[in-house]
Amino acid sequence: MPFVPKPDSALLIVGHGSTENPDSSAPYFEHADEIRRRGLFAEVHCCFWKEEPSMREAIYMIDTKNVYVVPDFISEGYFTQEVIPRELRLEGPTTHVSGKTFHYCLPVGVHPSMTGLLLRRAQEVAPEADPAETTLIITGHGTGLNQNSTKAIRDQVDLIANSGAGYAAVTDAYMEEQPFIAKWDELAATPNVIVVPFFIADGLHSYQDIPVLLGIESEVGPAASQREVFRHNPHHLRGKTLYYSSAIGTERHIADVILDQVADFDRLHHIA
Amino acid sequence: MTIPEKLNEWIKAGVHRIGEIEILRDVHGTAFVLCHHEDVGLARADGFGNLEVHSGPDAARDLSLLNDAGEYRFAKACQDLRRGWAMTLADMDELRRALDLFYPAALGLNAALENGHLEIENLRDKLDRQTGMYRYARNISDAGAQRLVTEVCGPAHQCAKRILWRIDAETPLDDSEASRFPGIIGGVSGNEALPLLCREACNHFVAECRRVSKEEAAAKSS
Repeated sequence: MPFVPKPDSALLIVGHGSTENPDSSAPYFEHADEIRRRGLFAEVHCCFWKEEPSMREAIYMIDTKNVYVVPDFISEGYFTQEVIPRELRLEGPTTHVSGKTFHYCLPVGVHPSMTGLLLRRAQEVAPEADPAETTLIITGHGTGLNQNSTKAIRDQVDLIANSGAGYAAVTDAYMEEQPFIAKWDELAATPNVIVVPFFIADGLHSYQDIPVLLGIESEVGPAASQREVFRHNPHHLRGKTLYYSSAIGTERHIADVILDQVADFDRLHHIA
Repeated sequence: MTIPEKLNEWIKAGVHRIGEIEILRDVHGTAFVLCHHEDVGLARADGFGNLEVHSGPDAARDLSLLNDAGEYRFAKACQDLRRGWAMTLADMDELRRALDLFYPAALGLNAALENGHLEIENLRDKLDRQTGMYRYARNISDAGAQRLVTEVCGPAHQCAKRILWRIDAETPLDDSEASRFPGIIGGVSGNEALPLLCREACNHFVAECRRVSKEEAAAKSS
């Protein structure tokens, strides 16, 4: 269903950002640019936890009274349930504060339309790999701090496994909790393995840390934008053929998922 | 008054500088040209004095991303904006978008300050609301926080913002170059420039508070 324009509302996209990696915020700005180009909102802005503008500063950038807040985050967890509500003073789905009305949408990563994006990314990165001889691994950070943080990935694994895509196996794996992505070859019985990072940006984790855990790199390399040579798939490692994609959040259709979350919010909360 | 309307009013009143950016009007047949304030002569010259010319606001993100040494500028008020470029902007909307990318929220913060709506958050309020690994930052002493301002903030440490916050409502910042910096760079007067404003301590400062509070605790127990 086409998105109904909201000329009286602003869209505020919230991202994590980084003080170390210059590529971390690029996808958020690209998603904002894409939505701005379509002329669907009076204003489109980004704000960040680790970069500028901060969430509290961003409020001062918005003229419009009605604001949809979409966390451009991969899962529900510490940031979407604690940090963003605290910083924006949100007390529920809709909050009236600082003379504005904020509608707090779900994060992009939990939307059902992510399944199609993951499948497309897997197909793009390994077009020649026969799914019947391929294990698809969706990988994330994982943390003991919040059990919800891996739920979005586990949900997507179940959805893909039941999607009829034909992969021999679909599994989840994490940087900091079991099953560990560093043991990707032990997690897969097939000759081909596709790893799709369930992150928004090709930042510190997906571009610099995970390639070391996979064995593609021997040590943490520079940021994506500061490399002279881009990596090429496939990688022949540990007796298998490994395909490693860029982060799912860099997919330009994430802009559509952001709009899906706004539309779903309206439907759920009966906003015309 | 909306932010673009306010920006229009500032420009008409003679504002031509924000941070390290110079705003030129009616040169080269375009509404606005932006450049580094040290490149003004080149930007006015024929052929933009061989500056690298960008059309539209989108390049502002890349231009402000890294300094000349290739280091990441996560704090946009850092006084190391690259030189050697000019940006042509067709209208007030493009000007606003470019300035929002070079100096995020600076226009909105100035508008709110003028309207009397700017909510300033003192350091203790900022630290007390931290959770997770930054919760410990609240234990920093007042003396430690005062010292940190002189070690982290202000032009000596490349930050070009005017600090508006205090330690708490009763405790202003000690007088220092950092605490009295006006947020304006390059020797222009207050009515020619919009200052860069710091309405609450940034996350870099909070991370430093965490480090110092841990050092203070370690010193006490040793």
